[in-house]
Amino acid sequence: MIGAQPYLADGVDLGDIVLAVSKATIAFVVLLVSVMLMVWFERKVVSRLQNRIGPNVAGPFGIFQTLADGIKLFFKEDLIPERSDPLIFKLAPYLSLVPAFLTFTIVPIAGDFNADNNGSVTIFGRETFLQVADAPVGVLLFLAMSSVGVYGIMLAGWASGSKYPLIGSVRATAQAISYEAALGLSLVSVIILSGSLSTNAIVDVQAGAGAGFLPNWHLITSAFVPFIVFVIAGTAELNRPPFDLVEAEQELVGGFHTEYSSIRFALFFLAEFMNTVTMSAIIVTLFLGGPAGPNLGLLPGWAWGFVWFFAKLLVFLFMFVWFRATLPRLRYDQLMNLGWKVLIPVSLGWLLLLSGLRLASENSAGVTELRFIDSDSFNTVVFAGLAVSIFLVATLLLSTALRDSKKNRLKEHGLVMVDGSEPINTGAS
Amino acid sequence: MEQYLPIFALLVLAVLFAAISFIASRLLSPSLSTVEKSAPYECGIIPNQEPSERFPVKFYLVAMLFVIFDIEIIFLYPWAVEYMNLGAAGYFAILLFSALVFESFIYLISKGALDWGPLQLNRNQSAIAGKPNAFSTATAGVRIVGTEGRFEHAKEVA
Repeated sequence: MIGAQPYLADGVDLGDIVLAVSKATIAFVVLLVSVMLMVWFERKVVSRLQNRIGPNVAGPFGIFQTLADGIKLFFKEDLIPERSDPLIFKLAPYLSLVPAFLTFTIVPIAGDFNADNNGSVTIFGRETFLQVADAPVGVLLFLAMSSVGVYGIMLAGWASGSKYPLIGSVRATAQAISYEAALGLSLVSVIILSGSLSTNAIVDVQAGAGAGFLPNWHLITSAFVPFIVFVIAGTAELNRPPFDLVEAEQELVGGFHTEYSSIRFALFFLAEFMNTVTMSAIIVTLFLGGPAGPNLGLLPGWAWGFVWFFAKLLVFLFMFVWFRATLPRLRYDQLMNLGWKVLIPVSLGWLLLLSGLRLASENSAGVTELRFIDSDSFNTVVFAGLAVSIFLVATLLLSTALRDSKKNRLKEHGLVMVDGSEPINTGAS
Repeated sequence: MEQYLPIFALLVLAVLFAAISFIASRLLSPSLSTVEKSAPYECGIIPNQEPSERFPVKFYLVAMLFVIFDIEIIFLYPWAVEYMNLGAAGYFAILLFSALVFESFIYLISKGALDWGPLQLNRNQSAIAGKPNAFSTATAGVRIVGTEGRFEHAKEVA
């Protein structure tokens, strides 16, 4: 099933263009307002967690504080440092902001997914989904845009012609690409379960009841591990605490945007918070069923979709703020070790385990190729056993490799392991 | 391509928003640039060296390793979409593929390509390590950095 927009099945006419433009405009406004509220929410929650009051002057509960700050930034002097590369220095905020807007297009924010509904509604006599665009490659678009966003940060640091931004941006790039691998691998588990890259189809698969009283969310059907990996890698992708080495202010002043001022700084800031909102929305879409949820009456079905989506979204927005208020920043070697030596092997191993077990559980349902013995129960045992044993062998190999690298490093300093064992490949350079 | 129409619309809006912001800022903000303001940020000190054009080779290594893994992941996506239609053949194919990539990953780790930061020793090993070096805190108290030229100056004074 490829999630083509139903309303665009035959040709484009004026109505389609009007619908597309109005969807884009609504998304644009919603994003800007949500960023404004998110900044306020973060400042307010962090304040409360630190036993302060936080912004409380501009508007009721200080809700317009972000707007006031934004307007102030318009009136600030826009400096271009003398040693910078002016063209790239000016281009970088665009490269950071535009992908942040575009990522949100794939998020379904409302719709009725109960019973046989697939979340579509009828607007202007056209059947459409309540998301900006249901691209058939939705998930790939998300990954592509997060990769382009890295360019914004990297070029900003490089073009500033100053050392702190340069160090910040090199760190940011290494961090983002390290965690992107783990992010992509944990996503594959979701795609196996849903069989589609389209976000609408991914939500549709998760609608309805699962085992017992539990919902049919990928969070549960993929057994939590891909979700945990995705949340950790997502936090690192956002450069948010505890992975905010990019802008570790004690070492790097402001990180990659040290040299930016005025509206250029505001655009980076905007992109950062927009990415936080979008990442929470994508976690909700992929693992918690997005707008899928029971219809409790009073409101139309699609509106209940929005209520459920917003409730789930708030949980993750609060989680990101809570991380910031609670967790101390990682050291750089801890960051790299976590990304490469823990998250990547765990997500790859879990993917193989999950795909083996899924094959075992659905073997009777139409999978005919390559049977060992013509008996379903035997095949189930074989596949499940195979998947588990591969997982164990891979774990063993990995721990051996980790020990061996440690032994080699100790040997360079004329030392041996505590248990006295020697490295395997002593000829290593 | 029609599904991408709203995405293009949003792209145009985002670019316009950024452009209009720049224009508004240009009209509203003062322009009083001085030599001090446009110098690279350095906590009030006059910067005495160019920002380094070279950074540790480890970062390039990470970028190359990422390419390997990213390509693997890109191969996994179409496989994952069609997984339930491929059956056991698909499972064994991806096992073989993953084994090949995982094997090189194991090799990299074992060679120490992904080791960052100083070597971590426990107390016994530090005792065996003996003579203090730049990383040891056993005798020196703190690691001495950033003293280029200072001791020569001290000698001249003495």
